[in-house]
Amino acid sequence: MRRALVAAVLVALAVPGAAFAHASLKHETPSFGEELKVSPRRVVLQFDQTVDALPRGIQVLTPSGKNLAGKPYVVTAQRQLVAPVPKLPKGAYTIRWQALSNDGHIVSGVYTFGVGVPAPPVTAAVGAQGPTGTEDVVRWLYFVALALLVGGLGFRLLILRGPLPERAERRFFWVTGIGVVAILQVGIVAFLLRGEDMLQLPFRLFIYGDLSPLANGTRYGEAFIAMTLGFALTAAALYLAWLLERRWLLWLAFALGLVFASGLSLSGHSAADPPHSWLSEVADYAHLTAAMLWVGGLVSMIVVVWHGAPELRRTAFLRFSRMATVLVAVLLAAGTYLSILRLPHVHDLWTTGYGQVLLVKLSLVALALLWGAAHHFLAAPRLAAGEGGTLFSRLGRSMLGESAVAMAVLLVAAVLVDSKPPPQPAPRAPVAAHDPSNSLLQGARTRIVTRENHPSNSLLQGH
Amino acid sequence: MIVAGLMPQAEFVHWWFATGFLMLGLVLLAEAVVGPEVWRKRAWRPYLWPSLCFAMGILMWPVMTFFTNSAIHMVAHGSWAEVLMLCGAAELGVARGKLHSQYWRLTSSLALVVSGTAFLVHEQNAWLFSRAAFLHHTLGWTALICAVFPFVLAFRPRSLVAATGFATFFVLLAVLLYCDRDVAPVFGHFSQFAGVPHR
Repeated sequence: MRRALVAAVLVALAVPGAAFAHASLKHETPSFGEELKVSPRRVVLQFDQTVDALPRGIQVLTPSGKNLAGKPYVVTAQRQLVAPVPKLPKGAYTIRWQALSNDGHIVSGVYTFGVGVPAPPVTAAVGAQGPTGTEDVVRWLYFVALALLVGGLGFRLLILRGPLPERAERRFFWVTGIGVVAILQVGIVAFLLRGEDMLQLPFRLFIYGDLSPLANGTRYGEAFIAMTLGFALTAAALYLAWLLERRWLLWLAFALGLVFASGLSLSGHSAADPPHSWLSEVADYAHLTAAMLWVGGLVSMIVVVWHGAPELRRTAFLRFSRMATVLVAVLLAAGTYLSILRLPHVHDLWTTGYGQVLLVKLSLVALALLWGAAHHFLAAPRLAAGEGGTLFSRLGRSMLGESAVAMAVLLVAAVLVDSKPPPQPAPRAPVAAHDPSNSLLQGARTRIVTRENHPSNSLLQGH
Repeated sequence: MIVAGLMPQAEFVHWWFATGFLMLGLVLLAEAVVGPEVWRKRAWRPYLWPSLCFAMGILMWPVMTFFTNSAIHMVAHGSWAEVLMLCGAAELGVARGKLHSQYWRLTSSLALVVSGTAFLVHEQNAWLFSRAAFLHHTLGWTALICAVFPFVLAFRPRSLVAATGFATFFVLLAVLLYCDRDVAPVFGHFSQFAGVPHR
């Protein structure tokens, strides 16, 4: 009897069933981001549970927002939701779907496909508005959090190096701890905001919306997954460094932070928008890292050293001043290269929205650099000569001002990242003179190139 | 997309975590039965359940990022990952002597409140609407009610009732997660409105 019971329990545990979740989309035709050669006859969505059809359960939308799908119906045995479609002309399409799940919840989703053309990214689905002001603020908070973590760790390991007084050590862990927790929280909020824009649903439906096309079908989503997992590990390493007082765990957290911060560069303009290359990705990463180390170092200098370990002020300031010189050089070199790459013409600086935001950023960076230069060339020599007293208190206030400007730079950088750079000029194809057929060909090529540069085709709109 | 092909069924993941919670509950139960003095005779034992809790928090992050088929699930799994890590971290800090106040133990209570709320907010239907609804409500209310045990432990660390109650919660949580089966005879379809059983 007992053996039978044990066997029954084991069998019961071994047989898989559905999770106690809502219906999930398991397979779809056309599939996410598929480029079809010919028009599909119908759209088929297969779920892991039976679902009920809703009146506008499947919509196949043209770029102008016209729905071409017929009335959806359910094939219960196959757990499918099906909608017929007429012969679709060549072009990009968005599928928006909704179904009533077994547990009574309405599940929703969106994805894109193309007939004879590449599918646009799901972030550019019909109805999506692109990044909003809220997303700019959220991205700014993400940059600040990244600076606190990466810059704080860099400051501790490269500038302060040795053991710290207990008060300063506690302040260091607070700064970096707040940074890593904020990275995780703000990252989730940013992902949800992007998903909300993609799905275009009221909140009560959005909470059951399918975000997997965003998570698995875009660079942004892949970066979100990698960065969330990476920074969760960073949080664990940082916590264990505090708990066990092991310095190598701090180095591990620093290395993880540096590695996973690259997710921003690998999913941003430098990786997605033409003309991108490995060099543009490296330059973007160098720009980002230098900025994080500089801004985070500045904040750590004030919070950890100035108020936590006054006896280390002179040494820390002089060391940071030397490191900041290198960081600023990297920041300027990478930033100049990226600006030239993204703005094909000088007049783009004042004629395009992207250029105007860049001008504001350059002005703020110039102000921050002047401030830093004053510290480097005026304050550092006096500190090196042994002067202290009132200079320390004035320097503390001055660095606070410099930090405020640096935060403003990060805010403008967040707006810039969410903006779309101006399109690149179409490359000129060699054309034989006076041949009318070649002229037509040239015209067709130009149109194709223009389509590829259209914002709706960017891998990540505004990213 | 390769990752999507390797993804285990959500149900298996629930069962893996059920196993983790079962171990957690048994360790806590053992500590409650033998008492803290005997339990601490081995230096590593006080670290046992907090480490397990912290590790399960880390392991919950992949669940959160890879199962994004609904926004509310993503947020719920994220909140569980965070409170598991927080609870484990606070208890490890107390065990190690880095945190001195016993009130850090209130994080366990907070973790249960957050977890229970996440279950209840996530479920919009009534108790008997479906197996899923029943489990969500049971899990949510169990977590909320059992939050009183770690709360009491923060003020009365030697309370046998509170220690046993806290341990029993994890065993109960494991059982409920193991019940996550569509054709489970006990938690079958209660309502015809939930659709026909399809497995």
